[in-house]
Amino acid sequence: MAGVVEVGLGRRTRRWLAAWAWVVFAFLYVPIVVLVVFSFNSSSRVNIWGGFSLGWYGEALSNEVIISAVRVSLIVAFVSTVVSVVLGTAVALALDRYRFRGRRTLDGTVYLPIVIPDITMAVMLLVFFAEAFKLIDSFGPRLTLGISTVALSHIAFNISFVCVVVRARLDQFDRTLEEAARDLYASAWETFRRVTLPLIMPGIAAGGLLALTLSLDDVVISAFVSGPGSTTLPVYVFSSIRRGVTPELNAISTLMLAASIALVLGSLALQRRRASASQQTQVL
Amino acid sequence: MTEPVAAVEIDGVTKRFDDVVAVDNVDLAIDDGEFFALLGPSGCGKTTTLRMIAGLDLPTTGSLRIFGEEVGMAPPDRRPVNTVFQAYALFPHMTVRQNIEFGLRMRRVKDPELSQRVAEAIAMVRLAGMEERRPDQLSGGQQQRVALARALVNQPKVLLLDEPLGALDLKLRQEMQQELKALQRTVGITFVFVTHDQEEALAMSERIGVMSEGRLLQVGTPREIYERPASRFVADFIGRTNLLEATVDSSGAVRLSSGARIEAETSVPAGSEVAVSLRPERTRLQPRGTASADGHSLDGEVRDITYLGHAVVYEVAVGSMSVEVRSEGEVGQPFAAGDAVTVSWDRGAATVVAD
Ligand SMILES: Nc1ncnc2c1ncn2[C@@H]1O[C@H](COP(=O)(O)OP(=O)(O)OP(=O)(O)O)[C@@H](O)[C@H]1O
Ligand SMILES: [Mg+2]
Repeated sequence: MAGVVEVGLGRRTRRWLAAWAWVVFAFLYVPIVVLVVFSFNSSSRVNIWGGFSLGWYGEALSNEVIISAVRVSLIVAFVSTVVSVVLGTAVALALDRYRFRGRRTLDGTVYLPIVIPDITMAVMLLVFFAEAFKLIDSFGPRLTLGISTVALSHIAFNISFVCVVVRARLDQFDRTLEEAARDLYASAWETFRRVTLPLIMPGIAAGGLLALTLSLDDVVISAFVSGPGSTTLPVYVFSSIRRGVTPELNAISTLMLAASIALVLGSLALQRRRASASQQTQVL
Repeated sequence: MTEPVAAVEIDGVTKRFDDVVAVDNVDLAIDDGEFFALLGPSGCGKTTTLRMIAGLDLPTTGSLRIFGEEVGMAPPDRRPVNTVFQAYALFPHMTVRQNIEFGLRMRRVKDPELSQRVAEAIAMVRLAGMEERRPDQLSGGQQQRVALARALVNQPKVLLLDEPLGALDLKLRQEMQQELKALQRTVGITFVFVTHDQEEALAMSERIGVMSEGRLLQVGTPREIYERPASRFVADFIGRTNLLEATVDSSGAVRLSSGARIEAETSVPAGSEVAVSLRPERTRLQPRGTASADGHSLDGEVRDITYLGHAVVYEVAVGSMSVEVRSEGEVGQPFAAGDAVTVSWDRGAATVVAD
């Protein structure tokens, strides 16, 4: 009896939910579709369709400033991802397994960059670099903002994200597996390499992917700490959009979109291949 | 002349975790080739004792030898022992074969010896055909076999098993008990087996060590532990028993608070407070007045009857005490609640436990 009533209500609810899901979906994707469609617009007016053209792509890709911004973005993303994956994983492991002085403080503060607003972080970093430069310059060198300050800043926030993701994985990790490895004559290092690392690898990979995305995505912090010649692509897009939306910007954005989709698909494929490959490979 | 050296020798070992004393001054020697069970209620320190033998926990004080060699502080990879963990702890990212190979690879054993030993281990636990599966594609019983093979393939001198059957259902558990026993006889090495199931311990092991609150209370064969418990705790924990408070009267007899006299051997001086342990299945009921075995009987009144099919359990009021009598193979309904009866037993069935 109660079951029948529930099924009736459930069906109506389901229909509403399905409709609602489509609304949300449209809300998310219509702007993207508009952006992609208008990037192929031959007219220079953004909101009037003047026929299909790849012209704006050619324009964007031959723009030296854009090319240089892409290069900066990629270098910063790569360096900050590699460094923050190593450091973030190390911090996560330390917090998970060792009791040491200052552990609780570190545990509480390591996540701070995630919760404080970008703008605060940006100002903090800028002030920090200014003070640091003053100190170092007093010994001779003349340091300025540039690609390394951008990379350092991205490392600073990415460590926290990697750390959070890896720790979530470590929380589920069964420590008796490490004891089993030790019991089976593995040294501490072999235990880490053959048991711990492979089992937390999905967390490390996810953290790395997140770091890569966040770095490629960042505007506010990069805008503050970059100097002449170290403009990242998002910063370039943001600064030129203030001069008006151009079809060229649509083209760049579409390319960025394609790149991030490729990134996600690539990482999925990688994970799938690793899963099936490791079924065949030997332990050593 | 050389003394046979013990497989495991634990000397005054204590393990403290902050303010918890998990293992309290334990002395124990386990013989070579023995199937030894550590038995006790939850939290009594069985796992901690086993982990100290494995090297996964280090003793706070005391010394620990394996075949005469001091290993108390040695890391686990330097001890000739292997462990079957409570929840198996199989490596989820490796196949059955890779799990079993792990120990040999860590010790740099090369083919053809490697594959030969792995094949033997797989055959021994009857897992042929499962080599390429992952642990999550195996049933509980199969996982347990992998855990056994993974440990035994290393040919340890001592195999440690922490409640290896705890996660299995009753039927599989009984099968595995037999299989484990047979396996131990085949490989001939020392098994140290942790369990909180007293029936399992009695059925499987050659000797049992009973633990409580970190202390080792008694070590003996299943028969010794069951028939001659050294303390109230052991008498009560192993099987069911009636513990009757009594005072030692003269050598060979004790007196209950009701004044009744029971014959029982004891070395405790007269006047000491003791308890008499009477196993329910070693006692019988007779109508009052038909029994004449003085010193081996108590008069009482049936208070409650529980019918179990294969047995009938009577609760008999004896003075202010209650005695459980278990009767098997009874025909008809010889007694009813309220009947005046005599509880009797054979000479030697009543044992005195002093503490
Ligand atoms: N790492 C630890 N830190 C603190 N206390 C511990 C630790 N390991 C064990 N203990 C404590 O030591 C005591 C004995 O634990 P142990 O695991 O040896 O018991 P056990 O007999 O194996 O129990 P069970 O049958 O429940 O497995 C318990 O009181 C437990 O809480
Ligand atoms: Mg335990």
